[in-house]
Amino acid sequence: MSDGIFGIENTWLDAAIRIQLIVGLMTIVVMGLIYAERKILARFQQRLGPTRTGPAGLLQSLADALKLVGKEDLRPRNADPWTFELAPYLVFVPVFMSFVVVPFVVGWQVRIVELGLIYFVAVSSLSIIGWIMAGWGSDNRYAMIGGMRAAAQGISYELPLVLALISVAMVANSYDLNEIVAGQGRWPNVVWQPMVVVVFVIAGLAELNRTPFDIPVGESEVVGGPFVEYSGIRWSMFFLAEYAALFIMALIFAAVFLGGWAWPLGEEWGRWWQLALVSIKAGLFIFFVFWVRASVPRLRIDQLMSFSWKILLPLMLVQVLVNGAVLVYGGPLWILTIAGLVGIAVLVKLVGHAVSQPRPKVVVAASAEGEVAS
Amino acid sequence: MKGIVKSLAVTMSTFMRRPVTRNYPTVHRELPERDRAFPLLLWDQDIDEPFCTGCHACERACPVECMTVLMKDNPAHESQGGTSKRRKIVDEFWIDYGRCMRCNICVEVCNFEAIAMNNTWRGHEMSVYDRSDLVMDLPQLMMQSKANEIHEWVAD
Repeated sequence: MSDGIFGIENTWLDAAIRIQLIVGLMTIVVMGLIYAERKILARFQQRLGPTRTGPAGLLQSLADALKLVGKEDLRPRNADPWTFELAPYLVFVPVFMSFVVVPFVVGWQVRIVELGLIYFVAVSSLSIIGWIMAGWGSDNRYAMIGGMRAAAQGISYELPLVLALISVAMVANSYDLNEIVAGQGRWPNVVWQPMVVVVFVIAGLAELNRTPFDIPVGESEVVGGPFVEYSGIRWSMFFLAEYAALFIMALIFAAVFLGGWAWPLGEEWGRWWQLALVSIKAGLFIFFVFWVRASVPRLRIDQLMSFSWKILLPLMLVQVLVNGAVLVYGGPLWILTIAGLVGIAVLVKLVGHAVSQPRPKVVVAASAEGEVAS
Repeated sequence: MKGIVKSLAVTMSTFMRRPVTRNYPTVHRELPERDRAFPLLLWDQDIDEPFCTGCHACERACPVECMTVLMKDNPAHESQGGTSKRRKIVDEFWIDYGRCMRCNICVEVCNFEAIAMNNTWRGHEMSVYDRSDLVMDLPQLMMQSKANEIHEWVAD
């Protein structure tokens, strides 16, 4: 695919067409995702979700988008103009950049990048800067706290995510997403790396700022996080980036762990079959994200931090070591499966232990005479 | 950990159930047969005139004074060459639905069973832009019974 599409030789024109394709596709996908989230979440609460706008409410997202575009683009007087106005782009652009390496079907991706995984990880963590800029530039305490939380959480969960992708790359012996997918023709990586899948899903949820890791944008704590002061099209750009990131994360999950288009049909089947396979696999991840959102309450920030640094990161380091040992000294691959299952058991045990711990008592100094109510 | 799994199971079970939403303005919940909305007047389909004789019993009994009744001689009475047995009949009747507290006393005191509590959805959906629109006059109070829209309910 390094040659031009539609037979266009001019590199710039070719790139422009590709960008248009990505942006158009992503906008439609994001509107679909928002509609799907509202419908699915409604069913989780025994509601119907949008039904009035268009047939079965299908045009609801379009109506929302039009409304957002029509709204006034406000900027607080105290806000830093440059930081405030540029922040949405810095959240928006990296997400779309990471779309470059996402494999849909054989050959259907924007560019084949040899270090695709590394590129994905590098680009997707860039948007944290945008979050901090949004929080800082708004000159709003809630936004500031939200931006700080986003930074802390993003940096913490980036590490387990990267280690998860690295351990998969060790098994697949490549950083190229296309090759990783093609190598899973017989067995998807889920089989060899069960624990990595669990860690990836958890860290992915945190990277996407979805419940239960939505402390940067938790309405009940920091109103709307870094987005409090944004309105109209800028706010919708954050929203678009959020859902686009969800879509890309689902596609990467499908490609890296569930074998993308290759498993279980193989490469010989037609492109439409492969596309359907990828969609189903990505849809599973997305549905799981919505399901978790409907079920699990938000974590406290100290729980969130210690979960990443004290549990996920050590487990992932051990996993990488085991991977290295098995792959270098040529042991059978099923050792990895067993190690992964043991890892899941350890993870469950650790989380259960951490949850059953009594809350640390807050020492409050007695301010007045007499007994302090306990 | 067990709690997380349990919560996922609970939400999944609600996901499988049918939604409880009704498409309200288009689909109405079925009202109970003894439902009690606002009072309205009944129409004597046999003689084609209201049951109400304008006797003021309901007006006097009304605790919130939401009714105004005027009486007149019945032009359709037998003595005038008509078929009706009612010597007097209601001339004008106003009920202020904004004041009515739906206590059912007017229905209890009526000697001619001429007034009843509305038991249709139209009796409930009383949203208007002006309070004076809630004052119903005789044609409005008669309309539903005349068109046979009220469900019959007879005590055992």
